Amino acid sequence: MAETTLFPVTVVGSMPRPPWLVAALRKRQAGEISEADFQAVADRAVVETVRAQEAAGVDILTDGEQRRDNFYSFVVEKLGGMRLMKVSELMDYMKDRARYEEVLRALDVPAFAIKSPIVVGKLREKNGLALDEMDFLKKNTTRKIKIPLPGPYMLTRSSWFEGLSDKVYSSPEELSRDVVKILRKEILALKARGVDFIQLDEPILSQIVYGAESTETFMCAALPNRRDPIEELELAVRLMNETVAGIDGVRFGVHVCRGNWSRREDVLLKGNYGPMLPYLMKMNIHQLVLEFATPRAGELEVFKEYRNEKEIGLGVVNPRTDEVESPAEIVARVKQLAKFYDPEKIFLNPDCGFGTFAERNVNSAETAQRKLAAIAAAAQQLRKEFA
Amino acid sequence: MAQEAQEAEATLNGLHPKKIEAILDSLKDEKVCKAVSGPWKSRIVWQNGFRVKAYMRKHAIELDEPADLDATDQAASAHEQLLSAIGSCLTVGFVLNATKRGIKIHDLEVALEGSFDNILKWAGHSDSGNPGYRGIKAKMFVKADADEKTLRELWKLALDGSPVTQSVIRGTPVTTEFEAV
Repeated sequence: MAETTLFPVTVVGSMPRPPWLVAALRKRQAGEISEADFQAVADRAVVETVRAQEAAGVDILTDGEQRRDNFYSFVVEKLGGMRLMKVSELMDYMKDRARYEEVLRALDVPAFAIKSPIVVGKLREKNGLALDEMDFLKKNTTRKIKIPLPGPYMLTRSSWFEGLSDKVYSSPEELSRDVVKILRKEILALKARGVDFIQLDEPILSQIVYGAESTETFMCAALPNRRDPIEELELAVRLMNETVAGIDGVRFGVHVCRGNWSRREDVLLKGNYGPMLPYLMKMNIHQLVLEFATPRAGELEVFKEYRNEKEIGLGVVNPRTDEVESPAEIVARVKQLAKFYDPEKIFLNPDCGFGTFAERNVNSAETAQRKLAAIAAAAQQLRKEFA
Repeated sequence: MAQEAQEAEATLNGLHPKKIEAILDSLKDEKVCKAVSGPWKSRIVWQNGFRVKAYMRKHAIELDEPADLDATDQAASAHEQLLSAIGSCLTVGFVLNATKRGIKIHDLEVALEGSFDNILKWAGHSDSGNPGYRGIKAKMFVKADADEKTLRELWKLALDGSPVTQSVIRGTPVTTEFEAV
């Protein structure tokens, strides 16, 4: 899957949503506007963010996840058998309510603030997960297209809730078979539409590996059930490989970060990718889309052992800061990796999205665009040096 | 006529604003006010172990103690229910005042906690000190259709007007009697 350009610039997925789009999203959730009216508003937001990415110099762009409530909960609208439930709605079904209480108190958030798509019926696909996003992007840009999708492990684990999901599936294992089937069908349909890059998001893997007992459920209601990290990583590898088995002609990436819900670095997870890499390397995908713009992510040297095994989507800007990284800083960072990694295998991207959760943009649209422009400027310089 | 019926049935936050307004207005009548003021009653009947049942009007709830105390932990303990009573009362006050002002509440939660000052007194290992809560913290989380300033006003009204919370804050005297039968 060689790229014609060195150091392609891309985004992880989400871009900041304008206030008028967030207002429309809220109205849509409350049933106060029609689906068609919402999509018309979202179309406008997508066009704006596509133009912003193009102007910044992004080579492989997304629709900024403008239509989504967040990067994985949006599947609730796309699949039958799933319901977006607040933790407060799940309290009656919790086996270990005291543990959830600890988590809520540690995070100082109300139970109604954490929502998860929960499996409450047999999963049924409707009209695809992101096919509408793909079709609209195709009509509105000539750049390469990346579609981020929730990964099979996250989709299975985060939507499984004992007391509800076990009424329709005998086990998470059985649920995972349907999840894989749905994702495979989606991927094939996206491929037929000409998608260039499919990124499967598995951020909860870092919670499995680095999550402290009290704060491990930053996004998923189902997560407080502590599990063996090795078994979970092995399961994630298996599900990923089942999902992409035999499908070629599309670049596959997996994105793993350490949380993007707060601008406070001290509350986000930390730890280098070392313990996770043996497993990520076993995934039959092309690229690891990783964060590396903050010290929390650890050192690039962890890749020395896995030299050139996979492409690296190198996180070179922090999406959560006001300060825009200089192209010179970014160039220096990339050169660190290029000392022992093939430049043809290095893509450049921010650490994560700029608005993972619709109501919690971590940056303004202006700053996001300036950060992407800084990456593009760095890429230009690197291309000259490495040509 | 149809419009009147519609207004009478209109609800906000699961309440009927017109009806609430009329009820609150009726409290200006001395007789009504006296009737609503009490006395409020509860009867506690011991079941077994640390388990009791509380009967209040047509309602009954169970209270128990945690299994660590050789209890069956079939229900929350009395001191936990005190926390819940404060939280519930604050919720009622907030919802009442929001509804009076026509404000729609989407979500509301109260998180409460307290730690005993000297539990050794309860255990019979100490003669002095306060076996009760040293202090109680209550935090309300609200998502509603109003600006923060307005919501903070509602919170103050709920807090100042909460019969349960104020009973605790003001240290309401509890007169006790005992009779061996």
